[in-house]
Amino acid sequence: MDADSDVALDILITNVVCVFRTRCHLNLRKIALEGANVIYKRDVGKVLMKLRKPRITATIWSSGKIICTGATSEEEAKFGARRLARSLQKLGFQVIFTDFKVVNVLAVCNMPFEIRLPEFTKNNRPHASYEPELHPAVCYRIKSLRATLQIFSTGSITVTEMKPFLHHWNLGWPWDLC
Amino acid sequence: MACINPVSLQHADCGKPKLYRSVIEDVIEGARHLFAEEGVEEQVLKDLKQLWETKVLQSKATEDFFRNSIHSPLFTLQLPHSLHQTLQSPTASLVIPAGRTLPKFTTAELGTSNSRANLAFSGYPIHVPAGVTLQTASGHLYKVNVPIMVTQTSGRASILQHPVQQVIQQLGQPSVPQLNPCCLQATTEKAQRMETVLQQPTILHSGTEDRKHLEKATCDTLVPPGNEHKITSEALLSQPESSQYIGLPGVVFPPQVSQTDSNVEPVVSVSASMIQNLHGGPLFKGPQGTRDQHVSDVQLHLLKNRKFECDSVKQPRNIEEPSSLPVSEKGSNSQMDLSIQVTDDDINEIIQIDGTGDTSSNDETGSTRDVDENEFLGIIDAGDLKVLEEEADSISNEDSTTNSSDNEDSQIDIVEEDPLNSGDDVSEQDMSDLFDTDNVIVCQYDKIHRSKNKWKFYLKDGIMCFGGRDYVFAKAIGDAEW
Repeated sequence: MDADSDVALDILITNVVCVFRTRCHLNLRKIALEGANVIYKRDVGKVLMKLRKPRITATIWSSGKIICTGATSEEEAKFGARRLARSLQKLGFQVIFTDFKVVNVLAVCNMPFEIRLPEFTKNNRPHASYEPELHPAVCYRIKSLRATLQIFSTGSITVTEMKPFLHHWNLGWPWDLC
Repeated sequence: MACINPVSLQHADCGKPKLYRSVIEDVIEGARHLFAEEGVEEQVLKDLKQLWETKVLQSKATEDFFRNSIHSPLFTLQLPHSLHQTLQSPTASLVIPAGRTLPKFTTAELGTSNSRANLAFSGYPIHVPAGVTLQTASGHLYKVNVPIMVTQTSGRASILQHPVQQVIQQLGQPSVPQLNPCCLQATTEKAQRMETVLQQPTILHSGTEDRKHLEKATCDTLVPPGNEHKITSEALLSQPESSQYIGLPGVVFPPQVSQTDSNVEPVVSVSASMIQNLHGGPLFKGPQGTRDQHVSDVQLHLLKNRKFECDSVKQPRNIEEPSSLPVSEKGSNSQMDLSIQVTDDDINEIIQIDGTGDTSSNDETGSTRDVDENEFLGIIDAGDLKVLEEEADSISNEDSTTNSSDNEDSQIDIVEEDPLNSGDDVSEQDMSDLFDTDNVIVCQYDKIHRSKNKWKFYLKDGIMCFGGRDYVFAKAIGDAEW
């Protein structure tokens, strides 16, 4: 298993979460009444707006902060966020597209082999933490990349990260650990 | 995309014209004293009412809404001669079923021979005393040997299985169980059973030609205890497919029997409105997909036991057999309401005030206003609905102005973000036209549930405007995928 074939391994970005601000107060009720494809959660004070084109769901708060989830890439996330802002603008709000930030990227990868978690944990002491009673996966944190990997014994791995625009497939997966 | 099924159209089509009329009546009554206070003439109020009724009629929302009531009386009730020995107590006043206000018709008029009464389907159950002969417009004669209750539900097949079955069973049995008159909404299965049940007596009865038996088609059969009369369901309402019950209010007759009747007692008295109503029958086949069938009016002519010309009877019968009425697979039963009416005016004046399950008269205005969100979201309650109405106008004005201004402005951020362009690249236009629909549901919701993109709607107490027609429901369940 050389490094090249690792990249070809099926690693899929399944979710990109981003936030942006509109710099203006949003009347949730008005959005709920006039907007298309909206769900008004009055009890928590937010509006969910779903878009079809980039399949995203946006949580809109009255302060103007919007969290956008469900995109499959960062570019798509930005595109969707702009579309959302545009639709809010059409509803009549003075929307300014600011502070766009990708907050989380979730990727899933599948190893063709199983992983022995206790052994793995022992070999990666500082980074890996394993509590089988709490969660069946090993939690491997890479501080430099600010990424968290959840490694399951079946070989499937989910990667979440907090640092934007990180191409985690350049991680250099520590093959030798398994 | 969405599929909504009214679960139980209680008080639905069976009372829809009644419901609408009661709504109109209520409003008019309520406004009457207001009008008087303002010093406006009573005539204006009457004009308003007339206008309103005309609009409702024209709106096609309730096509056969006023057809029965406004038109001339549909039935001719002729009391039997002494031929009917069972004519004992025609002088009894009409039985009024519980919960309903019936026009009280003393059968004094009925008691005398040669008296005629025209019955119109105004949606009231009518108790037909014993010994009366009913005749449908098709010319079938039905002789009431036992006092029965005939009710009509407009289109909606709601028939109580029980009484009918019991009635049918009487064919061979002398004892007649007592049935409670009621106007009930049956389920689809019941309707089908009703259908099959009704078929039986016809087969049984086909042999007896010389007897005239009244067929109690609808479920409201009131049979006095201890009465040993036989009631056979006969006389198809001019339907060649006799087994196909449905569309007509509660009358299923085999063709054979019809001829039987004609042989025995050819009756003429076919009113124009009867034909008209039956012609409305095929119309109701249209929305097969929906459970509610439209009102199909059956006009019974209660005749005396006289002989009329056969030909004139048969002709309308032929006319009235335009096509097979839809089978009650969809559960569209109909009850027949006969209101024995002394004069024409009485029909108009006897209007039921207690319209049950009526929503406000939103449907009149609802279909016209922009309520696209309603059917999509389902997040509507009464309060929000009103606000929606108010805001609809104001918002539409707002949008036009703000959009124009937005398109012209170019927003420059503080934090060096690209300004949102005039929307050529980011805006999503394809969605807006999707909801330009006329099909509107105005209702309350019990529960709206979503899983991923699968939606489930549990709605209640609403009016659907679908294809221009109104359907009233008490409960509806829907599924949709977004």
